[in-house]
Amino acid sequence: MAMIEVKNVTKQFGDLTVLDNFSVDFDHSGVTVLIGPSGTGKSTLLRCINGLEKIDEGDILVDGLSVNNKKNLKQIRKTCGMVFQQTVIFPHMNVLDNLTMSPIKLLRMSKAEAEDKARYYLDKVGLASKEKSRHNELSGGEQQRIAIARALMMSPEALLLDEITSALDPEMTREVLNILVNLAKEGVCMLCVTHEMSFAKEVASRILFMEGGKLVCDVSKDDFFGSVREENERINKFLSFIGE
Amino acid sequence: MQDVHTIGKYADFAVGDIRTFAEACGVTLSVTLLSLLIGTVIGIIFGLIRCSKNKLIRFLPLIIMEPLRNSPLVVQLFLVYYGLPVMAGILLKDYTAAIITLSLNTAAFFGVLVHNSILAIPVSQWEAGYALGHGKFSTFINVIARQALRLLIPQAITLYIGQLQCSSIVSLISLRDITRVGQLLSVRTMRPFAVWGIVFGLYYLVSFPLARLADYLAKRIDYTY
Amino acid sequence: MKLNYRFLKNPQYIALLKEGALNTLIITFFCLIFGFLLGLIFALMRQSKVKIFRIIGAFWVDFLRNTPFLVQIFFFYYGLPVLGIQTSPVITSIIALSINISAVNCEAIRAGLMAVKKDYFDCAYALGFDKIQTIRYVVLPISLRVAFKPLVNNFINLILTTSTCFSITVVDLMGASKIINGRVDRPFEIYMMLLVMYFCLLTLISIISKAIDKRIAIKL
Repeated sequence: MAMIEVKNVTKQFGDLTVLDNFSVDFDHSGVTVLIGPSGTGKSTLLRCINGLEKIDEGDILVDGLSVNNKKNLKQIRKTCGMVFQQTVIFPHMNVLDNLTMSPIKLLRMSKAEAEDKARYYLDKVGLASKEKSRHNELSGGEQQRIAIARALMMSPEALLLDEITSALDPEMTREVLNILVNLAKEGVCMLCVTHEMSFAKEVASRILFMEGGKLVCDVSKDDFFGSVREENERINKFLSFIGE
Repeated sequence: MQDVHTIGKYADFAVGDIRTFAEACGVTLSVTLLSLLIGTVIGIIFGLIRCSKNKLIRFLPLIIMEPLRNSPLVVQLFLVYYGLPVMAGILLKDYTAAIITLSLNTAAFFGVLVHNSILAIPVSQWEAGYALGHGKFSTFINVIARQALRLLIPQAITLYIGQLQCSSIVSLISLRDITRVGQLLSVRTMRPFAVWGIVFGLYYLVSFPLARLADYLAKRIDYTY
Repeated sequence: MKLNYRFLKNPQYIALLKEGALNTLIITFFCLIFGFLLGLIFALMRQSKVKIFRIIGAFWVDFLRNTPFLVQIFFFYYGLPVLGIQTSPVITSIIALSINISAVNCEAIRAGLMAVKKDYFDCAYALGFDKIQTIRYVVLPISLRVAFKPLVNNFINLILTTSTCFSITVVDLMGASKIINGRVDRPFEIYMMLLVMYFCLLTLISIISKAIDKRIAIKL
């Protein structure tokens, strides 16, 4: 059984159909990259998987649990950690407390254990020295790296990453992507919406191209940048447009 | 049983009451406007002194401002109206006492607004003025004051509205302002809801448009540095 | 003229001042609680998705802020008996002042609530918090910190405003002073003393609240 099964999902905002009878499965491993023009439902798909948006039709199962049942959301969100484009580091606590809050409150983890774990992940994202910092003392890139660490604190089976570098300048983008590349090499399963093709080329195992709420193609990385690009005029145009 | 005299005393509204209300409006408005005018002028002086570089000079206005800001207006009014004549031997009319108290009170709050508005203009604006060859005074007038004024105006209007409400306090030294007349009429007619409804309406009629104006201006100048 | 505070040696007046202080304290205390709760209710109404709630909330705030407190308290003082409701002046004061202060509290709390943008909810939900937990661990801690300063300002204003309650015969600090003045006729001494008392109390509150605010303040 696949970890995430998206079955015939339709999602509308008013008259706009963002996901149109959409179906896809995701496994426990590897890095899947979702690409496509803006406003084609990539972010919405991730938000629906995490239960942040209600779906109008169809069903999404995460480890067999449906997002349509509110009682499952807690477990689903534990399974899928999520980081956003506009991530916020909670301003009323320092970095360490940001990381330890959810395991302590939700998993009843002891404070000492949670702090050990937090330091481990802070070290992993290269910010061990920032544990006492506040959100306004951190750069955008540092905030995203902390958000990744915060999501990892719940030991999710997969990370949903929603354009997490789109609001960052190139240098910060690089430092965030480096972290993701390292995580990917360690075998963390990721589902990313991104426009960073270099990142996709480096670590993606599978690429989904979406347009108009539909899946245009679902292939391996090599096929995507090879044969698919050559054959599919639309994808070639898109990749040229974003400078690939 | 009510005798004729009592019925006469608790008389219903009469045409003359319209005039009474009109006169009361005059008292409220004149007390408010006059004290706002004086208070604004003194407040600007306070605010400018607060911006001085000399620590001692900067501190001086606080001696007057802080007690005024941190004590009840009624107490201030009673101190001026009842206390000053005994202490200083000058006889104050109720109207004068009201103006003095409200003016000083307005000045204390206005001084803070002026000070904060000037402080809100970043140092870079001063430097820009100097860089263009302006002197200190010229930079202040042409660069700083204009920007500070835009920040100040909506807050000043809000303060003015507050002071209009505060002017009702003068009814407590029997000055016949709107509130006092409302009180007299509500006792006489025994129709408190009608009377206080009118009084509410009169204050609201003046305050509400000003409040909207302040909101509008505050939104319009919402620029960040 | 020399200041003469001999009247303070009269235990009768001291007792009167104590009674006044107690009444001021009682009114302040209850208005603090009711004023906050009412303010919270109206803040939630103003943020509500239901249009009629928003209109009621907006009118409530507009009306109370654009009419004098003195008129509001007279309205209750002269109005309630006509409706057949007999209460003590202290209770009338608590009602009028709680309602009055709720308008400014509503605005302070609303500003706090508005400081918590949708992104905060998304992040908290994605970490696995449900709605109640999100409000408890994220929304409230942030909005109350943002609202703290204006709420303290309102509290100071509340204490200042209690002094007008003597106008409906409440024997608060001001009322007691007025009675004492009626007997000893030392207006300057009495009202100056009162002014200094309020000034010291409020300055103390300001200093303490600034120290607290420094500790809990957040930059958004």
